[in-house]
Amino acid sequence: MREVYLIDGKRAPQAKSGLDLKDVPVPYLGSNLIRNIMDETIIPNDVIDEVIFGNTGAPPKYPNIGRVIALEAGLNKKTSGVTVHRNCASGMEAMGQGWLNIASGRSELVFAGGVESMSQMPLIYGRQMTELFIKLMKARTVSEKLKALSSFRIPYLSPVVAIEVGLTDPFCGLNMGQTAEVLAREFGITREQQDEFANRSHMRAVSAQTEGRFDDEIVPVKVGKKLDRMLDQDIGPRSNSSVEGLAKMKPYFEKKSGTVTIGNSCPITDGGSVFLMASEEAVKKYNLTPMARMIDYHFAGLEPERMGMGPLRAMDGVLKKTNLNLDQMDLIEINEAFAAQIIAVRMAAKDKSLAAKFDVNRALGEIHDEKFNVNGGGIALGHPVGSSGSRIVVTLAHELKRRKAKYGVASLCIGGGQGGAVVIENLEK
Amino acid sequence: MNTKTISFEIKNSIAYIGFGYNSKASMTVLDEATLTDAKEVVGEIKKKEELNELKGVIFYSHKPTCFIAGADIKLIGTFEKESDAAHGAEQGQIIYNLIEDLKIPTIVCVHGPCLGGGLELALACDQIICSDDPKTVLGLPEVQLGLIPGFGGTYRLPRKIGLPNALDLILSGKHVRPKKAKKIKLVEGVYPKERLLSMALKHLKSKKGKPGLSLEKILGDNFLARRIIFQKARESVMKLTKGFYHAPLKIIDVMESGISKRRSSYLAKEAQAFGELCVSEQSKNLQHLFFLMEGAKKYSGPKGDGVVPKLKRGATIGAGTMGGGIAWLMAETNMNPIMKDLNKDALEIGLKQSGENFLRKVKRKRMTRDEFERKQRSIIPQLNYHGFKKADLVIEAVVENLDIKKKVFAELEKEIRPDAIVATNTSSLKVTDMVPAFARPERFAGLHFFNPVNKMPLVEIITHDKCSPETVEALYKWVIRSKKTPVVVKDGPGFLVNRILIPYMNEASYLLEEGVPFKDVEDACLNFGMPMGPGRLLDEVGLDVAEKVGKILFGYLGERARPNSLAEQVTKRGLLGKKGGKGFYLYDEKGKETGPNPEAAELLPKKRKQMDETEIQMRVFLPMINEASMILDEGLVAGAGDVDLALIFGIGFPPFRGGLLKYADSEGLEKIVDAMDAFADTVNPDRYKTSDYLRSMIKEGRNFYS
Repeated sequence: MREVYLIDGKRAPQAKSGLDLKDVPVPYLGSNLIRNIMDETIIPNDVIDEVIFGNTGAPPKYPNIGRVIALEAGLNKKTSGVTVHRNCASGMEAMGQGWLNIASGRSELVFAGGVESMSQMPLIYGRQMTELFIKLMKARTVSEKLKALSSFRIPYLSPVVAIEVGLTDPFCGLNMGQTAEVLAREFGITREQQDEFANRSHMRAVSAQTEGRFDDEIVPVKVGKKLDRMLDQDIGPRSNSSVEGLAKMKPYFEKKSGTVTIGNSCPITDGGSVFLMASEEAVKKYNLTPMARMIDYHFAGLEPERMGMGPLRAMDGVLKKTNLNLDQMDLIEINEAFAAQIIAVRMAAKDKSLAAKFDVNRALGEIHDEKFNVNGGGIALGHPVGSSGSRIVVTLAHELKRRKAKYGVASLCIGGGQGGAVVIENLEK
Repeated sequence: MNTKTISFEIKNSIAYIGFGYNSKASMTVLDEATLTDAKEVVGEIKKKEELNELKGVIFYSHKPTCFIAGADIKLIGTFEKESDAAHGAEQGQIIYNLIEDLKIPTIVCVHGPCLGGGLELALACDQIICSDDPKTVLGLPEVQLGLIPGFGGTYRLPRKIGLPNALDLILSGKHVRPKKAKKIKLVEGVYPKERLLSMALKHLKSKKGKPGLSLEKILGDNFLARRIIFQKARESVMKLTKGFYHAPLKIIDVMESGISKRRSSYLAKEAQAFGELCVSEQSKNLQHLFFLMEGAKKYSGPKGDGVVPKLKRGATIGAGTMGGGIAWLMAETNMNPIMKDLNKDALEIGLKQSGENFLRKVKRKRMTRDEFERKQRSIIPQLNYHGFKKADLVIEAVVENLDIKKKVFAELEKEIRPDAIVATNTSSLKVTDMVPAFARPERFAGLHFFNPVNKMPLVEIITHDKCSPETVEALYKWVIRSKKTPVVVKDGPGFLVNRILIPYMNEASYLLEEGVPFKDVEDACLNFGMPMGPGRLLDEVGLDVAEKVGKILFGYLGERARPNSLAEQVTKRGLLGKKGGKGFYLYDEKGKETGPNPEAAELLPKKRKQMDETEIQMRVFLPMINEASMILDEGLVAGAGDVDLALIFGIGFPPFRGGLLKYADSEGLEKIVDAMDAFADTVNPDRYKTSDYLRSMIKEGRNFYS
């Protein structure tokens, strides 16, 4: 296996669905970033082997958005492009495939990342309406058409919201928020603990913003009717967030006895992120300065109804593969899907008996506060499903570089009952 | 058959007539040889038709990008007498009549431009089909040369597509794309270019063309409707051209008076009108302009031994309105421009400028929303030099301050490749003064855009002693690629256009000071054909800007360019022109002029001086001619043609006059110098001091164009 380098990673600012980024055609959440990275290299536009993008719900206009992004980014038409889907970890799956391609010698240069416009996820007609349309298309004569139409009933028109369906587990039938409630119950995590953590996320994200710690990773996106406004900050972190304020919100998923609110969960969000990944040969050939090395990655499954514990299983796996332990990690970045889920992962990480319930036969170690999600996370910044898997690696790589630190792990839980994790080593000293 | 320019073959009793045969030119025009061949070919077809040897005729072109671009303008230019020109038109008419009179079905396959005499030929056939290629356009652009289509176009077009559409096409000279052509029934079918010939066969077999629309139906059922249509056409021509252009009015006359005449007498009228217009001064001027424009499409300046760089990637330094406009132009030509400035606000002003330019195209359906997204997003706004190593062309549009510009250049040169070209968009500073800031001045030149960039077609390329010919050539080609008109000017105060414009604005102010009513000055210039009077133009430029530039040029040029104090007074009153909502005129929020500004009128002297229009015009235009002659004397431009082209595209000098110097030639230089000398005595000896160059031309019996 060959070494795999991360040359540069960039991301779009993230905005809650329906806000500033809602009208940005999805490919531009990725192509913009590739242009930016290419502009600082001498790599010609026709030598990128693969463009791999994670995405879970682009409008039907963009089947295989990976290829669309490659073209919109000005890469040569012969560039191969692919779209991957591993739910919340699609961006990380893209990086995993990029890693495999390069490590195995099949590729030299790969762009891997994710894009998601949850604002633009489609509404779908229900089954009955869809069937009616099919009948209508098959009908040849006027009377056949009339017959088909006559079967129409008003309720057929109530749309199925793709996003809502997508956030419900098809296997166990629980909504993602309900899986967080399961963990809260079983781990005895209180509402206060969750709100406390959510507030931490906002505070950390706001201080990262005001101190310009995201400036190097964000490439501004043009917004507005005339595309004359530059969005260069995440829309999500709230400087006026408070535990008291969060406490006022009503539980969303279990209305009566629940603890999970909109406030201590990640909002649905639009965003994009990408890395340029390269082999050592490519680094030499194009005189590149890698910011990090991607040592390895790991995906693992668990019960869908406890999907929030995915990071525990995934980090366990990736640390074993890399022969490193959690204490060696200078930074730990875990996507904040739900405060309850994060708290549960941190509890199980340091407790062998809790870990054992998830087939992890050791205590990974303490996830120290000063190493963990130092610039906030999904609760404040949002969770654009297709992108978060690579977004957290972008943020991790930039923070490691800023701190001149060495190792970092990025991990996230995956709807459907999985976890994914990546370990990188900062190379810029 | 032995024709050189047209191929002729018969397959399965179908005659295939191919234009653009044996020719190396990219465009086929109807020159003498082609017309002679066409006559022979048509004669041959007629013979074979009589022998029952033919079932149909297909006209097509051998050229991959052109059907027939029109008549040879050089040929048109050779006619000196009305009767010769009319006779020329008749020769074409005879050929086209023969085609029309064939009993067997005829069809034309159009791919590429089919204009003027080309479309008139097509109209003589039963059917026209065309390719769906973006290069394919159809139209009768004769009016733009001050002419009437002379090969029966005005007779046949209304019969094919109806009077209103025909008038629209003929009077505007506009090009019609395939989709529109099908919609207005100008063509019977639109197909991929590879299938034209096979589809032509199908068309021939399916029906004998001769569209069934009766004359009455096409022309409006009754006499009254027709009257109204022609009346409306006349009104809209008057509104658009203010009556300066003779050809459209003549066309309406011919079409209206001939509407119910038979072909032979109609065509005789058309040929006669063609003859009259063809030898008119106005048409000659427009033909002159046509050749100037054609000439400007090719770089004809000095060549270097080195490689001429291809300017693929662009960048601007300085966003704002001008930088944004330039970035827009670069985005338009797929240069993925980087736009750098010092703060986000300036970048967003630039983005707004570009966004609005694009959205105007979206509104006019010249661009889709998706294309807008792509092109506007291709502009990269940023605060640093990220990616500047990729730029082939960097255009600077920061504040007009020499020290700041020099600092910017020194910094910039470290961030770009050694082979990248840097251009300054200065309008009032000397390019030569910036040269010392560069380690590689050979890659530096001026590119003077006019505001607003999207509307103003002229770009002055400013050279200096150390500028390499490769740089000039690369910039020239880039300007052409950007669909603008370049003029190469050696560095000098005000370059070309602004320097000549100074007397236009200055003299107008002096006239006002003398007590000539404001309206009289404005009207005199408008009646000369200028798109704006001097007051309106000052408002447009910005009175503060004009004052500043005026002072700078005064510093360089001396007494003859001494600014009048009036402009200063107006500026002091806070009347800045259009941008501030008031200047000599008032403007509403959308920038639309709403009438003269009484506040400005107060500043004018109370005394009134009557001056006749011609005198006002001479007072304003003669110093411009004088200044232009000095520019030629100093060798700043290659010739009089550059001056004329620059003023027509730069300030809208009336095209029908052929340009400032063409106008001077037609007035007579001696007359001009006499008038100048008289003004020197009575008005001012400095401002009306005839240049040595003008005097020497008279001595040598030359004028600007000979």
